Amino acid sequence: MTGHGAPAVPGRAPAALDRRVRRLLRWYPRGWRARYGEEFAELLLAELSDQPRAWRRTANVARCGIAARLASAGLSGHYAERTAGARACLGTLTCSVAVFLTFGITMWAQLAVGWQWAPPANPATAVAMLVMSASLLFLAVLALLATVPAVWTAVLSCRRGQAPNLRRPALLIGAGVLTLVLGGRHFGNGWPGTGGHWWPHQGLAPGGLAAFGWASTLSVTSYWVHPAALASFPPAELAWMAISPAAMLSLAIGAVQLVRRLELPSPVLRFEAWVGRAATAGMTAFLGGALCWVAQGGPAPHGLFRAGSIDAAGLAVMAVALATGWQAISRARPIPPHAAGHR
Amino acid sequence: MVALVARSRRSGGASPLSTLGRSAGPATLILSSLADGAKHGYALTKDIEAFAGVRLAPGTLYEVLSRLEGQGFIEALASDDRRRPYRLTAAGAEALHAHLCAQRHVADVGLGRLSGSWGVA
Repeated sequence: MTGHGAPAVPGRAPAALDRRVRRLLRWYPRGWRARYGEEFAELLLAELSDQPRAWRRTANVARCGIAARLASAGLSGHYAERTAGARACLGTLTCSVAVFLTFGITMWAQLAVGWQWAPPANPATAVAMLVMSASLLFLAVLALLATVPAVWTAVLSCRRGQAPNLRRPALLIGAGVLTLVLGGRHFGNGWPGTGGHWWPHQGLAPGGLAAFGWASTLSVTSYWVHPAALASFPPAELAWMAISPAAMLSLAIGAVQLVRRLELPSPVLRFEAWVGRAATAGMTAFLGGALCWVAQGGPAPHGLFRAGSIDAAGLAVMAVALATGWQAISRARPIPPHAAGHR
Repeated sequence: MVALVARSRRSGGASPLSTLGRSAGPATLILSSLADGAKHGYALTKDIEAFAGVRLAPGTLYEVLSRLEGQGFIEALASDDRRRPYRLTAAGAEALHAHLCAQRHVADVGLGRLSGSWGVA
């Protein structure tokens, strides 16, 4: 039936060859390995027996493995199953939003601290702060709109006993949220804006929210490249700067896993895709505001509102996150209403 | 076979394989190799090398196999060992036939013009 006998015999591969095959397989995502891993390993063993050294083959496997990873994230290629493809795209968007917000909130919290002490002299900074605050509010509303139907579906799945694979993402999300809330509230007490004066009539951001945002993103700082200055920080704060990124990572990974594993009904999936597209618009507006501040906003008295290299780096990361999220959501094509009955 | 020819002539436009973009070439080789029976990955590589003089790299082979399987042009067969064979489906046979007919038309036109203008037989 198969015509050509492969030289590799299952179970008799030398250990060195086996290790090389395993290394090559790591280029591929887990789902792909689960489906094609064994047979692909057999082919690689046979190829390695024929031709032990071939950098072109290694490069080809690496390129195709990366392509498979991008396809599994909904960023390229195709998905045979449209619903799974849309879920992968939404998962990637969730990840992009998490990265974007980490750097965005860092930037916004810094401006909020400055605003507590003195109103910005440069109109560009004032406009930037208004745009960024409005965008954050818009993103928060969208997050709520996206979360309610997803959580409701998850609860229904759990009640029907159809969601054993949701336990891990739920635990990751719970651990991340709990750590951030407890740590953020505790370290928010040291907020540099405490004791400052509200800018007249601003009411732009409640102090507690600004303090929480500042405390949650303490780890995003250029102090990491100044170890001498970092050494003068209290040990508890240093520990928090190490723990908070882990908590944020746990939250983001849990959210992405939940989105990818949750079997949302088609109408909910279409709604989530719509919310995702609105989120990219909100992120674009926020980035525009941040760009306005970094490019035009000069320092106010006492050096407040001064943009540094960490802010320029943050802008670059946010731009990449936005581009990734935009690419993902533009490829999310849930089943349209007229075709939902003909799957 | 007659039914396949009739259907591919009726379809007129681009062949289904052309939707695979840059994978259309390797896909044609793989489907042609499977046209005479099921084969696993290594057997496909060797067969294609023998009849087309092209050695498909392993990554490319499985990239295209997964796309062809996703489109329903091939299907995996159950196997006792780790080397899983694949076989052509009816949809795959039809797509391959339409694609090869289109290629043959291009080849006929090109060869005819070469023969007329350059005297190359």
